[in-house]
Amino acid sequence: MSFSEYVISRWDTLSLAAAEHAMVVAVAIAIATVIGVGVGVLTHGVPRAREASIAVSAAILTIPSLALLTLLIPLTGLGWGSTLLGLTAYAFLPIIRNTVTGLRGLDAATVEAGRGMGLSRPRLLLRVQLPLAWPLILTGIRISTQMLIGIAAIAAFVDGPGLGNQIFEGLSRLGSVNSLNATLAGTLGIVIIAILFDVFFYVVRHLTTPRGLRVRP
Amino acid sequence: MFDRDTEGVRIELRSLTKRYPGQTAPAVDNVSMDIPAGELVVFVGPSGCGKTTTMKMINRLVEPTSGEIRIGGRDVLSLNPDELRRHIGYAIQQVGLFPHLTVAQNIGLVPKLLGWSQEKIAARVEELLTLVHLEPGAFTDRYPRQLSGGQQQRVGVARALAADPPVMLMDEPFGATDPITREHLQNEFVRLQKQLRKTIIFVTHDFEEAIKLGDRIAVLREGSHIAQYDTPAAILSDPADDYVAGFIGQDATLKRLALLQVADVPVTEPLPDPVLPQVAPDASLREALDLMLAHGTDRCSTPSGVLTYATLCEAVGNRPDGTRPEEAVAGDR
Repeated sequence: MSFSEYVISRWDTLSLAAAEHAMVVAVAIAIATVIGVGVGVLTHGVPRAREASIAVSAAILTIPSLALLTLLIPLTGLGWGSTLLGLTAYAFLPIIRNTVTGLRGLDAATVEAGRGMGLSRPRLLLRVQLPLAWPLILTGIRISTQMLIGIAAIAAFVDGPGLGNQIFEGLSRLGSVNSLNATLAGTLGIVIIAILFDVFFYVVRHLTTPRGLRVRP
Repeated sequence: MFDRDTEGVRIELRSLTKRYPGQTAPAVDNVSMDIPAGELVVFVGPSGCGKTTTMKMINRLVEPTSGEIRIGGRDVLSLNPDELRRHIGYAIQQVGLFPHLTVAQNIGLVPKLLGWSQEKIAARVEELLTLVHLEPGAFTDRYPRQLSGGQQQRVGVARALAADPPVMLMDEPFGATDPITREHLQNEFVRLQKQLRKTIIFVTHDFEEAIKLGDRIAVLREGSHIAQYDTPAAILSDPADDYVAGFIGQDATLKRLALLQVADVPVTEPLPDPVLPQVAPDASLREALDLMLAHGTDRCSTPSGVLTYATLCEAVGNRPDGTRPEEAVAGDR
C-alpha cells in the first residue's frame, strides 16, 4: 500500500487524530495564556515574584515530557486529563517570560504620562500597557504553541489524543506492513498542524497589533 | 474639582518633605512656597536638587512624607489621586505619547475619562491642535511615530491642556528638542500662557529658559531648599548669594536687557531718525544693544523716537559713567 493509499484508506482515523491533536494544543494554550499572562501581569513589578515565576516555569520545561506525563497518571489518569495538564505546564515559560519582558520593556515615560494624566492602575494596564506589550505576548503564545504541537505527540504514551498514536503505532510495529506509512502520516500531520497554527498566529498578529505600532515614521 | 477650572488657582506648599527609605538626607526638605494664581513659576536648579520630586508631589506621583499641599484652597492629600491628576495638566520631557493611539485619541483621553461627549472632545482636539500650531486636518489621525520631535512636544502640551486644567506641571517639556525648535516652542508657549493664564510649575535646569518663561523663578539647591524666589529681573539685579549668582553666570546685565523691550524705555528724541539703524518696539533691549554694537554707534531708532546707549544703561540701573543712581528703573514684565 502506497502512502497516499494509506492516507485515503485511514482518512477518518487520521483526520480525527489531527483534529484532536490541534484541539488539545489549543485548549492547553488557552489555559496557559490566561494563567501565564495573569501571572506575568501580577509579578512583573515585583522582582522576587517575577524571578520565582520564571524560575518555576523554566524548571517545569526541564522535566522530560515522557517522565512528566507518566508522573501525572496517578493524578489525572490516562488520556485527555494528563495530556492537557502536562501540555499546559510546558506552555508557561514563553508566555510568562514574554508578558514580563513586554510589560517591563515599555517606555517608562509612556507609563509615567499615563499615571500623571490620571489613569488608574487597572485602566493603565488595559488601555496602555497590555496593548503595547501585546505583540511580544503574542510571540510568546506562538512559541509555546509550536512547542506544544511537538510535545503533544508524546501524549499517545499516556493514551492521550492526537497524531502521536500513529507515530507510536508505526514505531512499535517497525518493519511490518504500513508501519512506515503510519509514522510518516503522523509526522506529516503534525508538520501541517504546525504550519496552520503559524498561519493563524500570523493573521491574529496582523489583526490585533495596534495600527499605531505598525505605521512607519 | 477646584473652585474654578480653566483659569489658574493658587498653589500653597507647606513644610513639604520627601524622605526616601535608606537615604539619610531628605530629597525634598521642608519646602514652603506660595504660587500665585495664573503665574508661571519656574523651578530651576542642578540635576538631583529635588525640583522634579517637589513638582511630582503636587500631583502625587510622589507621595510626600510630610507637609501640606493646597491647590485653590483644597487639601490635595485628601483627594483621590487619579481624580486629582485629571485636573492637573502634566507634560514631561520625554512626552510619553501613547504610540498605539492617534493624536486625537491621545489628546482626548482625559476629557473622555471626565465623561465629555464625543462632539465636545472632537471640537476640543481641533481647538487645541490649532492652539499649538498643528493643522487639525493633517494631524488628528496621525500616530505619534509619524511625528517629529517638536510636533510630539506640541501634542504633549496640547494633551496636558486637554481638559482645561487650572494647574499645569511641566518637567522640561521642551528639553528633548533641538535649539531652534526649542526656542520656537518657548516663544509660542509664552504667547499661549499670556492667553490662558494657568498656574504653571515649570521645571528646568536651563536658567535662560527660566528667565524667558517665568513670571517668577525659584532657584533651588540640594534638598529643594529655596535659594531665591523672585521675579527674573529681581534675581538678575540682586542675586541672594554666590550660589544664585553662579547660576546666573557672568552676563547678568545682558540677561536683564533681554527681559526689557524697546517699548518699555523712554526715547530721547520724539521723532524716529531714518539714518540710524532701526529697531522694532517689541525687540528686546539686548537686541537693540546688539544692533548698536554691530553698527558702531550708540544710538538706534525706534518707530517712536531715538534710543541711546545711555538709556540702556539707565534701564539696568547704571549711569554711562559707571556710577549707580539712587533709584534704578526696576525691570519688570
